[in-house]
Amino acid sequence: MNDSANPQSGKIRCLLGMLGTDVHSKGIRTLAQLLRDAGIEVIYIGEHNTVPGMVRSIIVEDADVVGLSFLSSNYLDYCEQLRDEMRDAGASDTPVMVGGIIHQEDYEALGALGVSGIFGPGSTTQDVLDFLQQATGKTLN
Amino acid sequence: MEPLDLEQIISALRAGELRTAARLISRIENNDPELLPLLKKLYLLGGNTQVVGITGPPGAGKSTLVNQLVSSYRQNDKRVAVLAVDPSSPFSGGAILGDRVRMSRHDADPGVFIRSMASRGSLGGLANAAADTISLLDIMGWDLIIVETVGVGQNELEIMRHADTVVLIQTPESGDAVQAVKAGVLEIGDIFAVNKADHHDADKLAAAIADMVASKGLVEGWIPEVIKTEAVSGKGIDELMTHIGAHQNFLKDSTPAVRARNLQKVRFRVLDICKQNATRKLLEGQYASDIEPKLSAVVDRESDPYTVAAELID
Repeated sequence: MNDSANPQSGKIRCLLGMLGTDVHSKGIRTLAQLLRDAGIEVIYIGEHNTVPGMVRSIIVEDADVVGLSFLSSNYLDYCEQLRDEMRDAGASDTPVMVGGIIHQEDYEALGALGVSGIFGPGSTTQDVLDFLQQATGKTLN
Repeated sequence: MEPLDLEQIISALRAGELRTAARLISRIENNDPELLPLLKKLYLLGGNTQVVGITGPPGAGKSTLVNQLVSSYRQNDKRVAVLAVDPSSPFSGGAILGDRVRMSRHDADPGVFIRSMASRGSLGGLANAAADTISLLDIMGWDLIIVETVGVGQNELEIMRHADTVVLIQTPESGDAVQAVKAGVLEIGDIFAVNKADHHDADKLAAAIADMVASKGLVEGWIPEVIKTEAVSGKGIDELMTHIGAHQNFLKDSTPAVRARNLQKVRFRVLDICKQNATRKLLEGQYASDIEPKLSAVVDRESDPYTVAAELID
């Protein structure tokens, strides 16, 4: 049971969504449920988001961290656009993680764009939870 | 935490600084005690924006309807803030806040502010967090504030007390007319929307609700309207807007009925704060450790819950 009476127990607020025309939402929906079951507040924005819309959502929701899922091959482009827009909006301090079909040879380029968590095939829920706690500085009880 | 510069925060909010607003809402949700001077100030400065509460059972089409409503207000050059509340899991304390999915067309619009909030447990606090967030949105100068919540559970319904105008959404699929009439929640509606009005039972449900409303009489000087909407197509949304505007005009007249309504609103607000303060006091720090042996005695039937409660609060 959660202890909602404790004012110090700031929940991790994680915004999850997809950009562009990618409709393979099974993975991100599954992740949303797994994160909820771990005590995280997931702001789920679904598919077909635009970069400016997502960045404004990140700010207005005061998300601690953002997660994107890609099953299309254009994730490098989208991550670059997202990081640029976040920088312009003064939101580049919000950590970004990506998951889905992410190729090993792109890890370095993603890292250079400021994507700090990469969860390709074979990643476990625990990997994601560890990252979320480390990236946000908040702990799960 | 640095002390708050109230003037600076308030001018930032008035200037529409999103990050300031968004971070303050998080602190409100986390019951940050440092915010108290700001929250007091916001209340004194507030009361300028109509707050429309929208509630109804899960799947009734609330988010879809809010999405359409926001579009219609935008077409009339009105700037709208939405506070969308979704339930937390009672088991993990986590939540999936999914209302933005239906409203994503407004994500990049600077004239719209959508914030999701989880209900977070049953120990109170949600109603207060919602009320304080409303005060904060109020100072930002939006033309309308919409609060959306699932109409299940006391916790969620309590929020509706902070709304000036409550729109209750019902659907023809949710059982027969008796279900609608017997539910106490029907008493909180200022406007009733029968959504999914293309359903063959929609007229029957609308008639049943209208009957119930008529039998309640004109106690508070306002006869609730019953309208039919189709949130997906947008049918009936303009009519809904008209009635929301009419209710705002009704509230502007300082009749005894409106005064009584506002007094009742404030009464609940004060009680909610009392409840939250008491809960916080009892579950934290010294009290929390003092109470353990007493609870133990109650378990062993050496003491009773009434005696322990009386020791905590006279």
